[in-house]
Amino acid sequence: MTTMISDLDIPGSQSAPAIQSDWQAGRLAMQGDSYPENSYELFDQVIHWVRHFLANQQRPLHLELALVYLNTSSVKAMMDIFDLLEEAFETGREVSVTWHYDARNERIAELADEFREDCSYPFAIIPVSGES
Amino acid sequence: MKDHDEEALLAEVATLLDASEHTGHPLHCALQRLYRQHCDQRVQVERLISISDRYQLLAMEAQQVTQRRYERTLRRQRKLSRISDGYQALMRERNQALQQASTHDPLTELPNRRLIGERLEELVSERRRFSLALLDIDHFKLINDHHGHDIGDRLLVAITQELSATLRHYDLCGRWGGEEFLLLLADTDLQEAHAIVERLRQRLAAVTIHDADQSLSVTVSAGLSQHLHGEPHQTTLKRADEALLKAKRDGRDRSLSATR
Repeated sequence: MTTMISDLDIPGSQSAPAIQSDWQAGRLAMQGDSYPENSYELFDQVIHWVRHFLANQQRPLHLELALVYLNTSSVKAMMDIFDLLEEAFETGREVSVTWHYDARNERIAELADEFREDCSYPFAIIPVSGES
Repeated sequence: MKDHDEEALLAEVATLLDASEHTGHPLHCALQRLYRQHCDQRVQVERLISISDRYQLLAMEAQQVTQRRYERTLRRQRKLSRISDGYQALMRERNQALQQASTHDPLTELPNRRLIGERLEELVSERRRFSLALLDIDHFKLINDHHGHDIGDRLLVAITQELSATLRHYDLCGRWGGEEFLLLLADTDLQEAHAIVERLRQRLAAVTIHDADQSLSVTVSAGLSQHLHGEPHQTTLKRADEALLKAKRDGRDRSLSATR
């Protein structure tokens, strides 16, 4: 466990998603809108965490997403993260993504589906009814 | 074929050189040297070709790697743009919905007071001539009280549809309050406005909705005013409102024009 890095617990704001990681559980979660000013700074921490987990652990990694609006740099960061998962999956690692969206906003599901296009690992897009 | 000829010739020369009867012949020594030199050169050329081939292969592989990398980058870039465009479109639609919600009445989808106010200011600043008509449904409260708000709402929507169908495309009709509508008639004087409103009132009185087996229709009172050059639009509105009040007091189901 010497390779463990500290978990992320970033509170969300109007323009930045809330982010929580759980090294022990092999879980990373993000919720909310994402158009932060310091997009690279914010997502670099997340990408670093994912990279580190995949390099140092053999346990499964699961992403739990409830992202709504993403600006371009956030879209790029998410593509990078999904690529890291794809690379790991191709070497036999167990990785998966669940993307929750408000059932009243089908457009978010369509965009999540576009992200999923190049991913061969389990990637579920699930509607959540009511207020979320 | 040429290779084959060369092999045959070399084999023939080798056999001749090896034959004991030719030993000591004046040409033997020279031919042997020539033969060896040729064989050495052949080895050199083959090595050269093989090295050259390997370089070509490397260059080609490098080019293919670059090409694949380029195609991958291009694909990623396209995917990024596509998704990003999607989010932008989403944002634009949200903005449009908000814009619509902030300027229109949700029940009748008519412009609300905010939008009408903006239009009025535009007309005043453009020094355009215009008349206003405030329309009020007579005894609307009774409909709501006796038949419920659902029926009241249905009646409002039916009246709205008739209003929109009757007006000229450059007129603006907004929901001013509960059962009050404001018509903004651009480039129209009071006399013309009065004719329009009278025609409209007749058509609105013919609008009928049904509650169970009962048919419901209403009459409409109206107050009109014409914008006077230089006055703020609030003043024009106030005069239309006063004319409407007078039409109500005089017994409803009529339109009155404000005196200048």
